[in-house]
Amino acid sequence: MKVIVDLAKCQDHGQCAIAAPVVFQMDEEGKLVWDGSPDESQRLEAEEAADVCPVQAILIQD
Amino acid sequence: MTGTAAVDAAPYFDVTDPSFSIKSAAVHEARERSWYARTNYGLAVLRYEEVSRLLKHPKLRQGSAAWPAHNGITEGPFADWWASWVLNKEGEEHHRLRRLMNPAFSPKLIGGLVPRFQALAGELIDGFRESGGCEFVSEFAEPYAARVIAIMLGIPESEWPVIARESATIGLAMGVTIRQDMPKIEAALANLYAYADELIADRRRGERDDFVSALVRAHRDSDSLSDTELRDGLLLLIFGGFDTTRNQLGLAMQTFMRHPDQWRLLAERPELGGKAVEEVMRVNPTVTWVTREAREDFTFQDLDIAAGTTVHLFSESAGTDPRVFGEYSFDIAADRKPHFGFGGGAHHCLGHFVARSDMSEALPLLARRMRDPRPAGGEEWLPDSGNTGPVRLPITFTPAA
Repeated sequence: MKVIVDLAKCQDHGQCAIAAPVVFQMDEEGKLVWDGSPDESQRLEAEEAADVCPVQAILIQD
Repeated sequence: MTGTAAVDAAPYFDVTDPSFSIKSAAVHEARERSWYARTNYGLAVLRYEEVSRLLKHPKLRQGSAAWPAHNGITEGPFADWWASWVLNKEGEEHHRLRRLMNPAFSPKLIGGLVPRFQALAGELIDGFRESGGCEFVSEFAEPYAARVIAIMLGIPESEWPVIARESATIGLAMGVTIRQDMPKIEAALANLYAYADELIADRRRGERDDFVSALVRAHRDSDSLSDTELRDGLLLLIFGGFDTTRNQLGLAMQTFMRHPDQWRLLAERPELGGKAVEEVMRVNPTVTWVTREAREDFTFQDLDIAAGTTVHLFSESAGTDPRVFGEYSFDIAADRKPHFGFGGGAHHCLGHFVARSDMSEALPLLARRMRDPRPAGGEEWLPDSGNTGPVRLPITFTPAA
């Protein structure tokens, strides 16, 4: 599974970090950091993160 | 109203002064001098970049949790409901609720409601179109916003006046007369709780393919929303979704009447409905400020902000900041940076996909069937700081098929 974030769209709202905290986190500055190839066990949460992103900046592949 | 505070050279605004206008030239001039102003509440942030960063700043929390307590309301059904809001919670308690509630507001589920939104807008417009005029708030914005809520909740659309009435009564809690109004507010809450309880019980007996069922079904591992959390959440949906949508539709009409070429463009190109909503919310948002409070002392761009400071992020001032958007223009076809009309960060509006979807269906239908709308006189407006919009907006137009 690949997690792709379009940084041109991302506004660091952090809804993904709420939906899938293992894959997405907000750092001390409030900026997004994420795991681009997380474990398969994270799939449902990662897809939910993509779904709830207010600016729809997250793409999950394979 | 405008002056220089002794503390530093920053502009100062008394935002409680009835003559203060948050969308005024005075605010825009202050924005050119300084990224922030001092106010009688604390700080006002005026520029796009700073609003964007502070909206999501880890040292700030959502700022309205203490509002009832500041007005002496520390217990009772209203204080309990307010404290239950996902908006007024922080940290893991907030994240848990948000995680459970978010999927019901998913764009995938909302997409299925588009034909209902279109049919509703069409029916309302047909009710007044031939007369060539209407009172836009009571004949369109209000029933549209309330019936969208009824559609979401799966209750008969004919019951929309209950939603409108009780929601407006609860809205009194945002005003300075909150204490005197509390008996009315609590009666309205009780009425809506009865509605919510009935809905929840019904979906527990048998799920449907709808929004309330999605909330009832929502779970993470073995965790799910309790009946109390569900009823509080449904009331927040009603309260948060109705007023804001009604007001934003009225503000959209105001903006388009000032830009008739854009109204004509929208009629010709209904696919611009989504961008029209964004452009209206950028220059004329109903939520004119987003409130934050400093969790601890911190420094931002050389400004020391003390723990407990109230920080108001001025959404219209940021949305029209010439550093980002250039000289003022209203253009529904332009590509713009995001506005702050839905707030942002962890507390980003939960219902924004619904609001975006229902307004982006309504506006092009209005544009197609009501040509050349213009004010007909007799407008009444809410104060323009806080949540604003028209109370009455009589208009005339040329009917079209």
